[in-house]
Amino acid sequence: MWWRLPKLVPRSGPVILLILTLGAVAGFAAVSHLVVRYNANQQSRGRKLYASGLTAASSGRYDAAIDAFRAALTCDPANSQYQLSLARALRDSGDPSRLDEAESYLVALWQRTPQDAAVNLALARVAAHRGSIDDAIGYYHNAMYGVWKSDADANRNSVQIELIQYLLKKNARAQADSELIALATALPRDPAAHLQAASLFVEAEDYAGALAQYEDVLRLQSNNAAALAGAGAAAYRMGNYTLAQRYLRNALAVNLEDRDSRQLLETAELVLRSNPFRSYISDAERNRRIAADFARAETRLTACAAQAGVSLDATGSSSPSPLLRLQAQWNAVKPDLRQLQSSTETDLPDTIMDVVFQIERRTATMCGRPQGVDLALLLISEQREAATQ
Amino acid sequence: MSSNPTVPASPESPTQTPIVRVHIRQRLFSTLEGVFNEEVFFLILSVFIGIFSGLAVVCFRLAIDWTHLALLGPLPQTHSWRLFAVPAIAGLVVAALVLHVFPGIRGSGVNQTKSALYIFNGFIPFRTAVGKFFCSAIAIGSGQSLGPEDPSLQIGASIASALGRHLQISREKVRLMAPVGAAAGLAAAFNAPISAVLFVIEEVIGRWSAGILGSVVLSAVASVVIVRSFLGSEPLFHIPVTAFKRPSELLAYAALGLIGGFASVAFAKSVGALRPRLKALPRWTQYLQPAVAGLLVGLIAFLGAPQVMGAGYDSMDQAMHGQYAWKFLAMLAVLKIVATTVSFVSGTPGGMFAPTLFIGAMLGGAVGGVEHIFFPQLTGSTGTYALVGMGVLFAGFLRVPMTSVFMVLEVSGNYEIIVPVIVANTVSYLVARSFQEIPIFDLLTRQDGLVLPSLEEEREENILHVEDAMLPVSKTILNAQDYVDTSARRVQDSSESVFLVRLHPSGWNLITREQLQRLDREGKGELTLASVLPSPPLPSLYPDLPLDSALRYVNAYALVPVVNRADFHRLEGVISRDSVLHKYGSPSEGS
Repeated sequence: MWWRLPKLVPRSGPVILLILTLGAVAGFAAVSHLVVRYNANQQSRGRKLYASGLTAASSGRYDAAIDAFRAALTCDPANSQYQLSLARALRDSGDPSRLDEAESYLVALWQRTPQDAAVNLALARVAAHRGSIDDAIGYYHNAMYGVWKSDADANRNSVQIELIQYLLKKNARAQADSELIALATALPRDPAAHLQAASLFVEAEDYAGALAQYEDVLRLQSNNAAALAGAGAAAYRMGNYTLAQRYLRNALAVNLEDRDSRQLLETAELVLRSNPFRSYISDAERNRRIAADFARAETRLTACAAQAGVSLDATGSSSPSPLLRLQAQWNAVKPDLRQLQSSTETDLPDTIMDVVFQIERRTATMCGRPQGVDLALLLISEQREAATQ
Repeated sequence: MSSNPTVPASPESPTQTPIVRVHIRQRLFSTLEGVFNEEVFFLILSVFIGIFSGLAVVCFRLAIDWTHLALLGPLPQTHSWRLFAVPAIAGLVVAALVLHVFPGIRGSGVNQTKSALYIFNGFIPFRTAVGKFFCSAIAIGSGQSLGPEDPSLQIGASIASALGRHLQISREKVRLMAPVGAAAGLAAAFNAPISAVLFVIEEVIGRWSAGILGSVVLSAVASVVIVRSFLGSEPLFHIPVTAFKRPSELLAYAALGLIGGFASVAFAKSVGALRPRLKALPRWTQYLQPAVAGLLVGLIAFLGAPQVMGAGYDSMDQAMHGQYAWKFLAMLAVLKIVATTVSFVSGTPGGMFAPTLFIGAMLGGAVGGVEHIFFPQLTGSTGTYALVGMGVLFAGFLRVPMTSVFMVLEVSGNYEIIVPVIVANTVSYLVARSFQEIPIFDLLTRQDGLVLPSLEEEREENILHVEDAMLPVSKTILNAQDYVDTSARRVQDSSESVFLVRLHPSGWNLITREQLQRLDREGKGELTLASVLPSPPLPSLYPDLPLDSALRYVNAYALVPVVNRADFHRLEGVISRDSVLHKYGSPSEGS
């Protein structure tokens, strides 16, 4: 019958083993050829499926992408790019039950190439999805210091920024601050990178750090509108209204349409004009400002009482409104106002302004954050409070 | 093996005469011949069996993949007409091939390999390998609910058998070739050499045999190396991170073992009951049976469960990653039992390993899912239960408890899960044994009219030991330094007729009262017993030896001493022919 092997004649062990070796080599070569052709065919099919998966993933059709990546993996099971893409699609599909599978693919890839930055980044994102902060930070760091196939510096920078954003989202301020410091020291001479870093500092409420980044941008591009506006805003948040005024004016000179900067500038200028404690102003000017602020406080108090439905004429109540108490304080201090110019008492301005600040703070709590001069007075009060602390 | 290489002298050599060169070649050849005694040759041959089996399994897997892609596409979608048309048409083709061209390839192939070992002197026609290769590839590739492992096992065994027959080695070695090839084929298919070796020992060879273990291991390792060099070393499954944290969870895994045991019984009983009924139908129906099976499997797929088609490794992978809800997992387990039963009993060539793993994974996932509803504090994920479930069905359905444990470890690479696996597999095995007396492969063999030994039956056997037939030590024990006349006087009043003699420095011998009295009468009373005793001394036995081992001595010697293993001077008892036969329940000739 045709399928019977021919009888092997040699009875000698070495000859038989030689024949078997030759047979094994021939078989190995033949199967290699077959496997190579089959794999080439499969890889071609896999590439097409992978491309369709990428298209689906980029348009948010994750189920279709997952199917395509799975099919691609049936064609080329060891392809780490397909595995990575499948893991990403599983992770991004929004189905928490798929995180396990995504993680197992990624862990398998990580075990093979622990230094691969893309795999570490994907694992970091899975850990972030799960809320495992320590794991996420570990993988983000691995990704930052891992091996990137291209554009390593930009990718590392981007991973660090992603890590900072993640830490800020998770309220891990201390870790975010240390990452920000590390980021700031390694930034390239690129205005966009400094602007991004500055916005992260702002997000972390580190306005000094943000201002430094904006000033770095301005050293590179002195007329950068975003940097001027950002620097102005940062200085404003820091309470440095003089610097804020300077940057915001320049920002408006470059971009007249910048409404936010205009609003901040107006407030900053009101602060500078209303603050009786500014250096280098005369006594007369100081007294004028105190009188104006005092009068403004009464107006604010009256308006807030009307808004809150509190009658400032009511007396004898067992539990008087805080606004009534404030009015009483205001009335008590009012006679002192006349003595401002003649008095030698150095605490009098503080006493009067203290009533003003109390009125502004209380009304801000009860009637909402004010605008205009009242806002300026509130900011001065906050600045004074911060300075005393 | 001998050779006579007569090489003509080469005139080109300036330094050696033709006679010297021929002499050197002959010496070299005879040295090589000396190295290749049959034992060494058999071991080397095992490596080649592994290589050839590995190459064949690589081609087999490519053939299945190619058939699947060509007939069903990379990812079969539900509600496609191809889902039921393809397996049905392929079933017709396979049936025609099985009935007319390859008649010996029905079923899984494990039984045929075992039959070759025990009945046919290791003979498996090479035609079986060819038929199994093509028909299984068509059947599995077209979606029949069968797996590629058992056919790979038989392909390996066929290759080994063909090599053994044509290399003219001894009959004993030829007989052992089939299991060596079987281990290679299975190891290549599973990418798991330890499980393959254990399975072949547990199920095919049926006993632990040191003589063949080395060859089986060598061939399994060689075939796995070949497969990995071509297909990569990716594990069969991407196992999720699993951990066993709380010992109390063993109860949950034991429950899985219990349910898996009953599922194994249901699966085995349905196969065992349907197979003979379908075989008894008229011959013309056998042309249609695989097609009808394909149609049924296709219909299940068409209606929403394409996961049941083929081996189903991708679906197992997804089940282990918690991709399916427990209700769907339970449904897949039931549907797979139905699909595999109809595919297998229809006579379609293909294996039951992969379907068993599939059913186990789905059942495990489902049980884990339900347990999590009632006991949310359980830390094992659904994937962990699916992984353990694979072993549970393997232990319960195939009745190979050791293989099942190692198989789970090998495919998962996670040793933390070993305790739950052992517990669940043991429970499943015990349940299956209680409700299904005969293991599935033995049942199939008996349905085919063959009775083959099984390790499980051997384990159950109550083996008699020497200690069971041992008689107490006689009060009269003589010493080799004693004189004949003294000894004759000592035994004069004894009721016994045969006496043990302690030799110096060690060993035992026998002497009868008649011999002593005769020697004394002959005037040899001044001689020591040592000088008159026959040589060699008596053989000794140990109490724990099988009683069978005593049989070869009790006919030759009236008494055989049983000594302590730690102190061979210490006599534990004696064995006689009567005591042995009495223990075996047969009356002795003299009684």
